Amino acid sequence: MDQIIIVVILLALGYFFGTWAEKKHYQSILQREKELIHLPTTTSKKPIGTLPPVKESKLVSGSVVISVDYFKRMLAGLRNIFGGQVSSYETLVDRARREAILRMKESCPDATQLINVRIETSSIAKGAKNQIGSVEVLAYGTAIYCQAE
Amino acid sequence: MDYNPSLPEDNHNITHTHPLKEFIILLVGVLGIFVLAYFVLGLLVDNAVNHISPEIEAKLFNHTAFSWTTIGTDDTDPRLQKLQQLTDSLRKCADIDAQITVHIADFDEINAVAMPGGHIVVFDGLLDKIKTENGISFILAHELGHFKNRDHLRGLGRGIVLTAMAAALTGPDSGLTRLVTPTFQLGQAQYSQGRESLADKTGLHSLHCYYGHVGGATEFFKNILKEPKDGIPLSHYFASHPQMIQRIADIKEMAEAENWGSNSSVPLTF
Repeated sequence: MDQIIIVVILLALGYFFGTWAEKKHYQSILQREKELIHLPTTTSKKPIGTLPPVKESKLVSGSVVISVDYFKRMLAGLRNIFGGQVSSYETLVDRARREAILRMKESCPDATQLINVRIETSSIAKGAKNQIGSVEVLAYGTAIYCQAE
Repeated sequence: MDYNPSLPEDNHNITHTHPLKEFIILLVGVLGIFVLAYFVLGLLVDNAVNHISPEIEAKLFNHTAFSWTTIGTDDTDPRLQKLQQLTDSLRKCADIDAQITVHIADFDEINAVAMPGGHIVVFDGLLDKIKTENGISFILAHELGHFKNRDHLRGLGRGIVLTAMAAALTGPDSGLTRLVTPTFQLGQAQYSQGRESLADKTGLHSLHCYYGHVGGATEFFKNILKEPKDGIPLSHYFASHPQMIQRIADIKEMAEAENWGSNSSVPLTF
């Protein structure tokens, strides 16, 4: 009985705080994506469009580590039994990727374009019983600065 | 190619199902499957137990190198002789042919248990609570009732099924197991409550057979009721012994139905 109470409390804490944190994070992501939309960010090896001569290029990166809450981990555990989409981890990875790109863009706000962008995802912490606790996403690319026309 | 900045209107990379809904569906699914499996395996255990005779049981369990002293039993306890003598007499009344050995364990816990292989362990704490011979006889008769009804083997078998299922779920010590197993324990407790009532009936029968009346049968429960209550309010749902008041009422009802009288009890002297 004591055990079930502890688990239910952990689940409730995980659910409410996890949902609250996720909501806040998405709000922040959407707002910052709007603010940084002027900076073209692509996976292409060459700059898009016709640009003035490039005066400088830099390697830029942004990385983030995000953890799932207890509720999501439990949900993923249940999902592991039946199989199917682990939707509780989808928002985790989605947020981490967008946050990493945003951090990369924020590191070079004056760049003309960000090209050759790549994203790496890895589970950073394999907790007890190999349950993945948190995810690390690294975004990197080349920031190019053009001469003023 | 020109750059036209725009943000996607909708996030297609995530599933929009409510996580709580998904959680409940999956949890109900897991519980459903395991409750069904537990029910079926429990019936198989019951069936198997019916085929294990006391002789086979003794062979199975008395060959193990289990030392009773490891759990704190003291076979030199002077009270043992009296308890063994009572058990042997009650055993004849309960129509049990196999030898049943009594042990006294030096624990404060107020309990007695029937163990596979024909052993009854009486805890020291229980002996402190009982003042009459009839009272302790009913406890021994109740445990003998478990032997007669093969409950000790049922309990063991179901315990093994439960542990195996918990381990199969996600490993012996994961959060998911902690969430799901108490539900089975609730089912187990309800099952055990049924078995306890049955053992009470068998025990009462043996008590009447030995003494010619059923006085002292409810002494233990009445003494327990006088104890200060502790623990969380919900815990009585999990107690494998039905609530004491209910048990006292059931015992009285049965004695009345059988027209068994209640004479005064013999004081317990060792």
